Amino acid sequence: MSAASETAWAEWFSPEELGHFRRRRSIDRWFGRLLPVVFLVAIIPILDLVYWVSQRSLPTFTWAILTTNPTGNAGGLYGPLVGTVYLLLMGLAIAVPLGILAGLASGVFLPHPWGEVVRGAGDLLVGTPSVILGYFGYFALVLYLGWGASLLAGGVTLGIFMLPYVARTSDQAFSSVPTDLRDAALGAGARLRQYAARIAFPIALPQVLSGIFLAAAIGIGETAPLLWTALFSSYPPTQLSEPTGYLTGLIWNYFDEPPTFGTEVTLAFQAALILIAIVVAMNVIVRVLAERSRRKLEGLYG
Amino acid sequence: MRSFRDRIRTGRPRGVWSALPPLAAAAIPLALIAAIVVTLVRAGSGHGWLLNLGLDWNPSTGEPSLSNFGVLVFLVGSFATALPALALVLLFSLALGAATALYLPRRISLVLNGFVDLLAGIPSVVYGIWGFWIVAPVFGTVINPWLNGHLGFVPGFGGPVPSTGVGIPLAVFVLTLMTLPLTAVLVRESLLAVPVTYREAGLALGATRWEVFRRVLLPFARRRIGGAALLGFGRAFGETVAVFMVIGDATKIPVNIFDLSYTVPGVLVGQFDSAFVQPNYLAALAQLALVLLAISLLINIGGRWLVGRVGRGASLVPGVA
Repeated sequence: MSAASETAWAEWFSPEELGHFRRRRSIDRWFGRLLPVVFLVAIIPILDLVYWVSQRSLPTFTWAILTTNPTGNAGGLYGPLVGTVYLLLMGLAIAVPLGILAGLASGVFLPHPWGEVVRGAGDLLVGTPSVILGYFGYFALVLYLGWGASLLAGGVTLGIFMLPYVARTSDQAFSSVPTDLRDAALGAGARLRQYAARIAFPIALPQVLSGIFLAAAIGIGETAPLLWTALFSSYPPTQLSEPTGYLTGLIWNYFDEPPTFGTEVTLAFQAALILIAIVVAMNVIVRVLAERSRRKLEGLYG
Repeated sequence: MRSFRDRIRTGRPRGVWSALPPLAAAAIPLALIAAIVVTLVRAGSGHGWLLNLGLDWNPSTGEPSLSNFGVLVFLVGSFATALPALALVLLFSLALGAATALYLPRRISLVLNGFVDLLAGIPSVVYGIWGFWIVAPVFGTVINPWLNGHLGFVPGFGGPVPSTGVGIPLAVFVLTLMTLPLTAVLVRESLLAVPVTYREAGLALGATRWEVFRRVLLPFARRRIGGAALLGFGRAFGETVAVFMVIGDATKIPVNIFDLSYTVPGVLVGQFDSAFVQPNYLAALAQLALVLLAISLLINIGGRWLVGRVGRGASLVPGVA
């Protein structure tokens, strides 16, 4: 407030009132300065994490690391890398169809209160600690069904872990299709499943895909569901019934080895860097797809 | 040739059977929860109820009949890390939400919030190895001694400080980062869900942005923010791998806030391997898993009920903006 306007205000308000105004304004200004700083404080750790993980892994990174198996105290990441891909693909083979079905049921088919119940169940599964999934996978699949610690048990457990993410995001995708289109389709004599297959699904597809990538990004970083179901192995899996390695498991096994022992800790950091790269790339895809679907929906709402 | 009536009939509802596929699909998440509960109950049965609220966690691998499973140590560890983390997360979430809703230009806050969402994507085990090797020395040599030196007179801040840096403060730090994206999204959505007209009315009446936040947005969004806090607590309470890697895993009641500790999910993941050979040990862990599941289900049901249906596009899955 400049001196001139200050005198202008002084004609209308008493000094006490002006002091009150100034105090209120300065509180507001301090928050205006403080809040962006808080934002930066929240962002610094992730930059620090990426910086230091690169610092610890890039200087010794060679292509040979991607093509050789871990050997106990040295070697590369080939086996766990291939295992991660297999586990993820197997998990997606379960999570995608079942998740989309569950999302269709709650987002399109079920009448009012029941859709909400299914959504709630999905949210509860999302909120379940991942170690519980590990216990479930071990007892139910490895032990009771007798699959043994294997690629199969690990993949299925990972699929069950990812399922609620696919279900919840595809439910959202189907629910955000404008109601007008549903009314129009049903009014024109379409059946619910015709509406679902020919109208809701094409509109929701980008968002469903973005949900799948999100689930994959979360699933690829999981450790606890796999520890006793896929167990671990240094070699690429050749059979469904074999234990298999995965990048998170390699980090878990090697992270606290003494650095004098070998290159294991560095190898773990290298696995971490690869995981970060994959996850960030998937998140970018998620964002691009979500943006595309937002534009599409905006067009539909007119 | 089919008659006209037959073709009409194909258009009729097919009775109860046509409802079967959607019901089966809807049953998938419910059936999974049921399967998890049944499996854990079965895995934990056969030895009676083994857990107690005592201090003595002693699987007694040599002599199983002497084993005692007091879980108080792990509950203390879990609450001692999850509650402070929740307080920090809530503070940060409110600040980020206020900045987004009132202070920052839309484009800038979109980019900044994108970074915060990215925190959710970093795998748990990566937080763990980063915390263990990079952040722990900072806590061990700088932060913990500083807190100990300046606030030593406060109960809980005095006493010995482990020099490695692993322990409760580091776990709280890592948990805060891991819980922030979820809570920040929920708080942001609940602040933005306050009708714009309310915000504008406040500003038009001469309230500052801070006053609009404090007197208009906060009271309006109170219930949902409570729900966000509860869901964040559930997330922090159930976080497994990262906390295990940075908390030191000592089965004891911590002597001060710098001490090593052990959480409920931590002991589930950390002692499973040693429990393989001892049936009652394995059953005790399965029972503890069941307790953890019950706690997390209750927290999530409560949180979801409070949050209700936030606007279209918001979800309990962080990262989907």
